[in-house]
Amino acid sequence: MRALPQLLLALLLTLVASPQGAVLLGQAIGETAAPFPAERLLSLALAHSGLALAGAGAASMLGIVLGIAVTRPVGRGLRPMVDAIAAISQAVPPVVVVALSVPAFGFGLWPTALALLLYGMMPVLRATTGALEAVSPDARAAAEAMGLPPRDVLLEVELPLAWPVMQDGLRVALVLSVATAAVGALAGASTLGTPIVLGLQNQNAVLIVQGAAATAALAFLAEALLLLGGSVARR
Amino acid sequence: MIAFENVHVRFGTAEALSGITMMIEAGELCALVGPSGSGKTTLLRLVNRLVAPSRGRVFVRGEDVARLDPAKLRQSIGYAMQSVGLFPHRTVAENIATVPRLRGWNAPRIAARTAELMALLHLDRSLAGRLPRALSGGQAQRVGLARALAADPDILLMDEPFGAVDPITRRELRTELRRIHQATGKTIVLVTHDPDEALELGTQLVVLRGGRVVAAGPAASLIAPGADAFARQLLGGTQPGLRRFALLPAAASVVPEAPPQGAPELPAEASLADALSLMAESGATVLACAGGSLHAEAVLRQA
Repeated sequence: MRALPQLLLALLLTLVASPQGAVLLGQAIGETAAPFPAERLLSLALAHSGLALAGAGAASMLGIVLGIAVTRPVGRGLRPMVDAIAAISQAVPPVVVVALSVPAFGFGLWPTALALLLYGMMPVLRATTGALEAVSPDARAAAEAMGLPPRDVLLEVELPLAWPVMQDGLRVALVLSVATAAVGALAGASTLGTPIVLGLQNQNAVLIVQGAAATAALAFLAEALLLLGGSVARR
Repeated sequence: MIAFENVHVRFGTAEALSGITMMIEAGELCALVGPSGSGKTTLLRLVNRLVAPSRGRVFVRGEDVARLDPAKLRQSIGYAMQSVGLFPHRTVAENIATVPRLRGWNAPRIAARTAELMALLHLDRSLAGRLPRALSGGQAQRVGLARALAADPDILLMDEPFGAVDPITRRELRTELRRIHQATGKTIVLVTHDPDEALELGTQLVVLRGGRVVAAGPAASLIAPGADAFARQLLGGTQPGLRRFALLPAAASVVPEAPPQGAPELPAEASLADALSLMAESGATVLACAGGSLHAEAVLRQA
């Protein structure tokens, strides 16, 4: 089973994030502050997942559409520009994006969603263009010579052959998105970053450990689910 | 069936084809032969609009291809190439069914046609569900040919289809192609750089050099004395006389008189080259053939 290590890590980190686990850990390092209650952690995890999914979904959609567009004959000229935009959006730290977009969007979900979109787009775009370019030129030439219209060449030959590699890009985008959504807490979005921010403000290491462990657990869980989904789809 | 009218093709600054005017009649197996870079593949790809002429016109079944929908045109013409280009994610049967599916055939008709083609190309039924990576080179070529023939096109374009297989498989596939051509009467355009293949398969040969047609016609006429020197050299090699004799039937020179006692027997379908070989081997100057006699003088008179 390909996803077992990720699942085990997610379970271990969930134990660390739970109030009981965090208290035990806190006692070990001489920290006695009160832990974050389990039910609030759970509802933050749900909000966090929703935000991460929305960000990764939008990033994937945009990345795939752009990746397809720049590998078509008409869009080939845009390739350098799109690559540059994707590289820049990956290079700017999400914290900066969140901070800069607060004045534009105000506090709350939107600055974080924008950061996730920009941050997740590059892995998907890279994987899509790379995978489409790696499609056997012979198969593509044969499809064209037999009279498949360009749309069918894409849908029936190129995308099915590119899909396994594109999936890796989608997985990276989702895991990145789950991990970075925590930053959203700085702009007031309810995410698993919230306990971390609270912990930093109140110098409560137990809360920081809980938020960090829960975020990591969620990221591993997302990766495990995608791996499982991928191997089911392949069968 | 296929006509080129003063066709020029230019790639950037290089002229790939210059001033091609020629016809390929229905039912011919036309071999385009020439050294690499002579423009033979470009000429082939003009037929189904994979290449567009920069000047001139190409007609298929009497229609200017520039006016036809490229996808529809290509679906109506079979295409097989050296690299085969089977779809790696589709089974053998699905690969063969590509064009019929595009044309909206129903499932029973597609299944019947697939089975028929696999039988025609001597492909084992058990291969139908396999993916292309499980096939040998020869099998892949056969599947590629079956895929090209799937929707029963009246024109078949073949770009060095037997280039990548071993000599024995190549010979088998050539025999098969000749059989299919004779059985179906399709118009076939075959690109090859192998003079032997062109001579063996082509009912018409077109010799290309530097983007121009230097000679065209039935094989024997292109090696005959007085034919274009380049074509003669390419097709005839160092023994153009023997090459040409290999293409001419011996039966045409047989006279209806009883052969002398003990004259060696030549099969009725043998070529003049076979007759010469038998004479060289036996020392006889008269052979028995198809109930008559074949004299050495009569053979040499064909030169």
